[in-house]
Amino acid sequence: MSAAVGAERPQVVSHVQQALSYTVFDCKWVPRSARVLCLGSAARGTGVIQLYELHGARLQLLREIEKPKPIKCGTFGATSLQQRYLATGDFDGNLNIWNLEAPELPVYSVKGHKEIINSIDGVGGLGIGEGAPEIVTGSRDGTVKVWDPRQNDTPVANMEPVQGESKRDCWTVAFGNAYNQEERVVCAGYDNGDIKLFDLKTMSLRWETNIKNGVCSVEFDRKDINMNKLVATSLEGKFHVFDMRTQHPTKGFASLSEKAQKSTIWQVRHLPQNRDVFMTSGGSGSLHLWKYEYPAQRSKKDSEGSEMGVAGSVSLLQNVTLSTQPISSLDWSPDKRGLCVCGAFDQTVRVLIVTKLNKI
Amino acid sequence: MPVWLREHSWRQTLSAVYLSLPLRGARATPANIFCSERYLKVSIPPFLFEAILYAPIDDTNSTAKIGNGNIFFTLYKKEPAMWDSLTLANADKEKLQYLRENAVLKAHEKAKEETEAKKITKQEHKKYALEATMKLEEEERKRIEDLKEKERQKVAKELELWKNQQKDGDKYKSIQKKGKLHQETEPLKERKSEKMNKTRIPNEGTSKARLKSTKGCPVHGSSSIFSENLKEEQLPAPRAAATIKVNFTPRVFPTALRESRVAEEEEWLHKQAEARRIINSDLSELEDLKEEEKNPDWLKDKGNKMFAMGDYLGAVNAYNLAVRLNNKLPLLYLNRAACHLKLRNLHKAIEDSSKALELLTPPVPDNENARVKAHVRRGTAFCQLELYTEGLQDYEAALKIDPRNKNIEKDAEKIRHLIQGTMQSS
Repeated sequence: MSAAVGAERPQVVSHVQQALSYTVFDCKWVPRSARVLCLGSAARGTGVIQLYELHGARLQLLREIEKPKPIKCGTFGATSLQQRYLATGDFDGNLNIWNLEAPELPVYSVKGHKEIINSIDGVGGLGIGEGAPEIVTGSRDGTVKVWDPRQNDTPVANMEPVQGESKRDCWTVAFGNAYNQEERVVCAGYDNGDIKLFDLKTMSLRWETNIKNGVCSVEFDRKDINMNKLVATSLEGKFHVFDMRTQHPTKGFASLSEKAQKSTIWQVRHLPQNRDVFMTSGGSGSLHLWKYEYPAQRSKKDSEGSEMGVAGSVSLLQNVTLSTQPISSLDWSPDKRGLCVCGAFDQTVRVLIVTKLNKI
Repeated sequence: MPVWLREHSWRQTLSAVYLSLPLRGARATPANIFCSERYLKVSIPPFLFEAILYAPIDDTNSTAKIGNGNIFFTLYKKEPAMWDSLTLANADKEKLQYLRENAVLKAHEKAKEETEAKKITKQEHKKYALEATMKLEEEERKRIEDLKEKERQKVAKELELWKNQQKDGDKYKSIQKKGKLHQETEPLKERKSEKMNKTRIPNEGTSKARLKSTKGCPVHGSSSIFSENLKEEQLPAPRAAATIKVNFTPRVFPTALRESRVAEEEEWLHKQAEARRIINSDLSELEDLKEEEKNPDWLKDKGNKMFAMGDYLGAVNAYNLAVRLNNKLPLLYLNRAACHLKLRNLHKAIEDSSKALELLTPPVPDNENARVKAHVRRGTAFCQLELYTEGLQDYEAALKIDPRNKNIEKDAEKIRHLIQGTMQSS
């Protein structure tokens, strides 16, 4: 593990702090702009969407929208750059796509799940990748559903428990491997430690594993390339990095695991400008910046001659504690390297700048 | 008796007295010399020299040089005056004594003062050193803070710049959007004309050039409509809907899995299993049974398997034994009721479902499934006995617990029709 030299280490500079009057569950950058979107739940049980713009050293509130149900998660991943519609999942299991210019009625709405939608991801929009725009939602009712905004009411893929089997909460979902129009993969993490990889082209389960702790967040390093790395974070302060290039018939994908801290790691987000750098946010209000180093040989042959992957190593670049409450959401700006926004359960949203990332 | 040294020689100037004292071969060290304002003593046992000086001298500045078997004193007078002699002439014993003691006291005081002064200077030095280090550290900290501040400002400036770029880009886009509306008709016409002109080679060049020029000017303007349209054509149709069935790693507890809790959970489960085995297990006939046959859970599983294979009598036997071991498990009665239904022992089915329902109090969401099944089985048994009203009651109770089950609804409807039919006919 090589550590960056003292003066050259990236620094996390807290640029703006904004106190909110509601619990913020998700915060996202609006693509191609200096605007931040915050989604959450007000004290009276309604959902809040707030749009802020970065002005110098403060965030200026541009718009506040209230919705009947609290909102848990949102994504811009499946819209085009011109439209920039927001897809949200709320506490009641509804998936809505909003046009922020005209937010009274959703552009698309479906009661997708019986219980809260814990996590949402979109692919195929924003000029990234190819193929149809799709949204995946993972819910407490144990199902993972993939939606196409052009098809109303029914999902295009539904990953549900076998009849009669007791369900486990799905806590996180992520798209990956969307490098051409046909290929697409959905990774889902559950509260009993299961990670499942579904291939949407063949509509089958491609791989599953159990990491012995509830999975809080999964993310591929890039959605729109041949799947390269997957980071899965869990309870008890652990995260696993899987090398997804080589799948062994029985052993699956090679991985390394790292214990960063004692508390839950709520989120992992890869830097859009460098896919080997990622940030994890923790239950103790801390942020850790990591860099993955590839091993000398990414795959080797095992005793039977089948290929198996080799995991590399990960090194901690920087570590900062911003809050006493968990930082539950994190998003890098796709337009400015090092700019990120994070929302914590102390009802504040912070805009941070991580310096010296171009030198890594 | 000390040996007095008397062969001293001295000379004086207005301000100083120079005294030379030969030592008869003795070695002198500074410790042997004792000097105060009016008293001078050199004591090198057994030799002794003392002198009560004529006038006070400044003993702090005076010096003594030891060397060559000789001590050379340079005594600076307090008051510049010429002395008549080195020592006081008419000194009687008492005065001498007094002067000696005085000298000693004075010397002591001086020593004390000196140590005091030393302490004070030492403290001051320490303080100074501390302040100096504090200053250094403060400077270091400030330097780091300044660096951070500079970084922050630099970054903030870059951010502002980038943001303004974004704003300009947005404005540009919005202007182009307006322009787009005007230009929309033109490029569409051009496209059509290009298609028509495709076969004619000379015109192709001109129409292409025209297209190029429209694409060239506003980047986001007309070309974006083109790219959007093209993209829409290229977007694949929505996927064919499909379902993937998922199996989960089994977990008894509804809470999330945590490594640190695994040990506790295992212990709890173990204790629960033990508790289930121990009830009712003191019957003497059970001694000749195998270990696993004394476990109600295992017997229940066996019964379930036999039911699935169609061996209803065997299943009933298994459940009977299980009930003898532990008559508090509602599932045993529930499953036995299902067996009896298949065997058409309807009264027994009703009994067992009732017993199961009794044990399934209090009614909570956890045992919803079980209660629904119990009601349905009892209802079925009643209907097969042609006691339709009781049967309907049970079906309605089942519907109340699980309103979404279509099968129960259908069956309830059928029973209602039957009741109405019999009532009408009778």
